[in-house]
Amino acid sequence: MTQIQLYEEAMCCSTGVCGPDPDDELVELSAALDQLEDEFDEAEISRANMQHNIEAFLNTEEIYDLVQENGPEILPITTVDGEIVAKEEYLSYDELAAELRANQSQEA
Amino acid sequence: MATTQTTTDARGIVEPSGDDTEFVFFSGKGGVGKSTVSCATATWLADNDYNTLLVTTDPAPNLSDIFGQEIGHEVTEIQDIDNLSAIEIDPDQAAEDYRQETIEPMRELLDDEQISAVEEQLNSPCVEEIAAFDNFVDFMDSPEYDVVVFDTAPTGHTIRLMELPSDWNAELEKGGSTCIGPAASMEDKKADYERAIDTLQDSEKTSFAFVGKPEDSSVDEIQRSASDLGELGIESQLLIINGYLPESVCEDPFFEGKREDEQAVIERAEREFDADAMATYPLQPGEIAGLDLLADVGGVLYDDDEATVDVGSATNVDTEESVDFDPLTDPDAVAEKLQPVDGETRYLFFTGKGGVGKSTIAATSATKLAEAGYETLVVTTDPAAHLEDIFGEPVGHEPTSVSQANLDAARIDQEQALEEYREQVLDHVREMYEGKEDTQIDVEAAIANVEEELESPCAEEMAALEKFVGYFDEDGYDIVVFDTAPTGHTLRLLELPSDWKGFMDLGSLTKGAAPAKGDQYDNVIETMQNPDKSSFAFVMYPEYTPMMEAHRAAEDLNDQVGIETAFVVANYLLPEEYGDNAFFANRRAQQQQYLGEIKDRFETPMMLAPLRGDEPIGLDELSAFGDAVTGLAELTDKQTAEVPHQ
Repeated sequence: MTQIQLYEEAMCCSTGVCGPDPDDELVELSAALDQLEDEFDEAEISRANMQHNIEAFLNTEEIYDLVQENGPEILPITTVDGEIVAKEEYLSYDELAAELRANQSQEA
Repeated sequence: MATTQTTTDARGIVEPSGDDTEFVFFSGKGGVGKSTVSCATATWLADNDYNTLLVTTDPAPNLSDIFGQEIGHEVTEIQDIDNLSAIEIDPDQAAEDYRQETIEPMRELLDDEQISAVEEQLNSPCVEEIAAFDNFVDFMDSPEYDVVVFDTAPTGHTIRLMELPSDWNAELEKGGSTCIGPAASMEDKKADYERAIDTLQDSEKTSFAFVGKPEDSSVDEIQRSASDLGELGIESQLLIINGYLPESVCEDPFFEGKREDEQAVIERAEREFDADAMATYPLQPGEIAGLDLLADVGGVLYDDDEATVDVGSATNVDTEESVDFDPLTDPDAVAEKLQPVDGETRYLFFTGKGGVGKSTIAATSATKLAEAGYETLVVTTDPAAHLEDIFGEPVGHEPTSVSQANLDAARIDQEQALEEYREQVLDHVREMYEGKEDTQIDVEAAIANVEEELESPCAEEMAALEKFVGYFDEDGYDIVVFDTAPTGHTLRLLELPSDWKGFMDLGSLTKGAAPAKGDQYDNVIETMQNPDKSSFAFVMYPEYTPMMEAHRAAEDLNDQVGIETAFVVANYLLPEEYGDNAFFANRRAQQQQYLGEIKDRFETPMMLAPLRGDEPIGLDELSAFGDAVTGLAELTDKQTAEVPHQ
């Protein structure tokens, strides 16, 4: 089991389809995450944004410290099994898939 | 009285049948007498020994006037009635509490500036809906009462509240966070919501009743709302038509004609509306307050009693003095707000609840402005779109000419607008993936995903707004008249551009958004805020609830978007030449009293429009009607206006 966790800014709508124009980055990300969940049985992906899931920020010391030090500009943060793999930007489908594969081969 | 078919079927619907607490919801627009009927029902239930709680979420509650006692935000026992308690929930306060609860934990992590950005985001209609629904949920667990009577928010709003929980559950199961909001942090409330929905759909436990006026538009709206509820598995069981003209007071052809129209509407409602029961209550000469009148209403609705109409005495206004509305108005001040300044396009917005006659006022103003030589476009965003009926000519999605010179009309078709918006978004997403052939993303799945997301209430708002904003770019008009959708909806449309701007400045939501769009919304907002370019007019009839609702909407508009009301329209004033008896003298005196209050409250010029035998149809009738409306006969001809003053 590989746990991918995203920490994101406060936002109304994580799918990106809410507003005058769709948010390309969020649309792409949502599609990528859906597809990864389908393709990797062992992947568990969850997203926390500051507006709706503030506890995830308060309960994770490393994230809490980073946000307090740098402000929300440090977001989004991506962790794989608790290890930070990206800050200030989202990973692409290919990058996330690579992370998952690397993790799986380690486990095997 | 064959026409007042009071059946005791209504009794079976509101009366509790088992040991569990039962719920009665009254739905209907402001000003139809929903509060009165709710109070009368609660009083009747209490008098019949049921332990009863009355809950109102009306933003301008008048329970205190009706019961003659202060009530407020705590459950309060009604002094003179055993078994009856009541509470007034302030929806604004509830929303604010909800916002603060959400923000509180973030304070630890974010600084003030960041907090206020989040606060701005939470200033959304969605959050208000969530907060309002929470209140329903709270009171749907009230085992200490036999019955809880809800005097709910107006119809469209109510529908939203009812629709949301099903949406929420779908969203919660997906585990994401969406526009509607809650996600994991709301998980603990899921069980409560589910129970609330189950209860709402259980016709043994919950009764839905609609209150309306004996008018076609009122019955049409109820039918729409009832069918929306039906789609959610909620059956509408009771229809109450309130305020029909009593036969005994209609002595002249004008009011006899009005009365006949009303009775035809009541018969139509009986025929067409698929409710288990229907009841009616007549118009009274004054407002319904005090326990005696409440008992009369309850007796008529549930015990098959005859209504008592005391034609002469029921008001506290002085009916001796002759009533003259004219001194309250300044026609030139109204005309000034209608015409363009310095050759710039003038945008006129007529807003107000459904049924106050704003389509007619908008069409009449547009007709008179066109007659005065101004190139005029009249646009409706009202889903019911009465413009076709009013002009007697087809009115489509794109501006088309009607036979009056200088006059075009258009109608925003919600469904078509939504379809256009969907296509626009999906095209955008397709383009986004073009030139990324090397990616291993399943593009079709991604598009299907977005398509699913577009099935949201937000998408509908967005679509309507896109279209609305588009009309600001129409060239070649001196005046664009908007016959806007009912107030709440309108406000949302108008607020959204500001909200989005907030999001854009924040940069979190729309990182990729084209800056051109932000500029376009900026321009629209600036235009709307400029009193030389835009006039917002609130249309109402001079009664308590419509006045309070309009005033609240006007304040919201000012607080949230910085738009001041240009003038108010008081419609359906009783003509002096008809109804020469004590009943109508009382009604007229009451209208005059509210006109005075409207003037004090809004502090703007007033446009007055008389009640007509029939709604004006066609350009000739519109033009004739316009001559009887304040300001429309005083318009300056375009040619004259363009000659510089010496």
